[in-house]
Amino acid sequence: MTDPARHPSATPRGTGAGRRRFVAAVGTTGLVAGALGLLGALARSVVPDVLYEAPRRFPVGRPGDFPPDSVTLVSERRLFVFNTPEGFYAISAVCSHLGCNVNHEVGKGFACPCHGSTFEEDGRVRKGPAAWPLPRFSMSLSRRGELIVDTSRTVGPDFRLKA
Amino acid sequence: MKDAGHPEAGPGPTPAGRALGRLRRNRLVRSVFRVGWPRTRQARLRAMLSSLVLHVHPTRVRVHVLRPSYTLGLGLVSFFLFLILTVTGLALMLYYVPHPAAAYRSMKDLEYAVTFGMFLRNSHRWAAHGMVAVVFLHMCRVFFTGSYKPPRELNWVVGVLLLLLTLALSFTGYLLPWDQLAFWAITVGTAIVAYFPVLGPQVRYLLLGGHEIGQAALLRFYVLHCLILPLAMAFLVALHFWRVRKDGGLSAPSRRLHRRVLAWPHLVFRELLVLLLVLVVVNAAALLFDAPLEEIADPTRTPNPAKAPWYFLGLQELVGYGAIFGGVVVPTALVLALLMLPYVDTHPRGVGVWFAPERRVANAVFAVVALAAVAVTIIGTFFRGPNWAWVWPW
Repeated sequence: MTDPARHPSATPRGTGAGRRRFVAAVGTTGLVAGALGLLGALARSVVPDVLYEAPRRFPVGRPGDFPPDSVTLVSERRLFVFNTPEGFYAISAVCSHLGCNVNHEVGKGFACPCHGSTFEEDGRVRKGPAAWPLPRFSMSLSRRGELIVDTSRTVGPDFRLKA
Repeated sequence: MKDAGHPEAGPGPTPAGRALGRLRRNRLVRSVFRVGWPRTRQARLRAMLSSLVLHVHPTRVRVHVLRPSYTLGLGLVSFFLFLILTVTGLALMLYYVPHPAAAYRSMKDLEYAVTFGMFLRNSHRWAAHGMVAVVFLHMCRVFFTGSYKPPRELNWVVGVLLLLLTLALSFTGYLLPWDQLAFWAITVGTAIVAYFPVLGPQVRYLLLGGHEIGQAALLRFYVLHCLILPLAMAFLVALHFWRVRKDGGLSAPSRRLHRRVLAWPHLVFRELLVLLLVLVVVNAAALLFDAPLEEIADPTRTPNPAKAPWYFLGLQELVGYGAIFGGVVVPTALVLALLMLPYVDTHPRGVGVWFAPERRVANAVFAVVALAAVAVTIIGTFFRGPNWAWVWPW
């Protein structure tokens, strides 16, 4: 190494420093690109593309299943169906605070067992720590006359489904 | 290891003694235990260098750090608990099936249909709880003795990461029994994650492998708990130990730097004594107290109150005052403060003794924060009843 001219990789035309730099650059680029590519593929692969979850849009029953002026808990879907004279609407039973199921008492509104949030009858927060109202979900009537709830679409407090 | 040459075993006149002598001269035995039972000073130095297990230690160690009242053995206890957790965890893995339809049943099998299954599960559970507590106490010890100061800044940071890993391991393990306790604790815990600004919901989605706690979430928690996090832990533990050596051993005041004794026997046998104590306590706890198993997870029915694991109940108590405040601001600030501490407080005084007078302010601040953390944890654990209302535990 002390005498570049006598280095084993030295060629008759020069010291070979340029070639060694080139090989090092190609090697480093390959190493970094290969590692980043692998890690990138790995990172993307952990984001699931297909979910084996219950559909977000589902029937909850026929309008006749819900008595007039009633609140019904559809427990396996974690929501309440309200049947009022103005029409149907659905309020989530999942607390907007940390995801526990709220309990409903007619006239008193909703109460969450986890952190003590309470909500008015219409889903607005009465007492925290919850910061947001219980969401309301879009409802529609299927061609077969079933009430359909779509939990991927939330609606405002004025939403009513006439059925 | 000891059989290579018991202290009393010489080539004595008894047949047993002769057999032991032959064993010690055996080629295979000598190829494994290179120096035999070390009796001379030179052999004791060589013993520490010639064994994979022992070479983690220095050959000589300061008298100062051997005193139990200095370290309280807390780092060592954490490490031994991690070993117990690894061994019992591997045994549990042979029976546990990470699928919602089978997980709870395999817990029942462990309890009723596997010989010593309950004992293994109890050991794993109590060692895990113990590890969370001991790692926290170890951090307090290191703080109050000023042991994070240069050159040990990086090792403090590694220690903070190990604390976070311990919590993550415990949390991911918490879901696996798939009972009501597990399901709702993880519901609350992962909902807190979603409060983090910008990335929170995405991180939760990645963690659960979807929107809800179901099969994908269980499998992810299982792989994190059994492979990814323990591997990370093993790597960081190795780094932690290596840094202890490279930073000149455990901290000591400069005037006590020079008195040293041989690591064999003074350090090695103290370590074995700590291991003995840990084993006795974990085994006794596993024999006396059964790990809880509630009813099978039911997403439609929230128990009242629904509580996170105890070490997150302080967090849950704070989240009760406001989700952003308790779930995001306080924990982020705490972790950042811990990570930055050794780079902010670099004053080299007061290292190597408990509650050094020069560190009165730092110690007071840390004590207040640590006690506050303990206090909210106790409140969340014992003083919160149905609807998270205040109750008296007596």
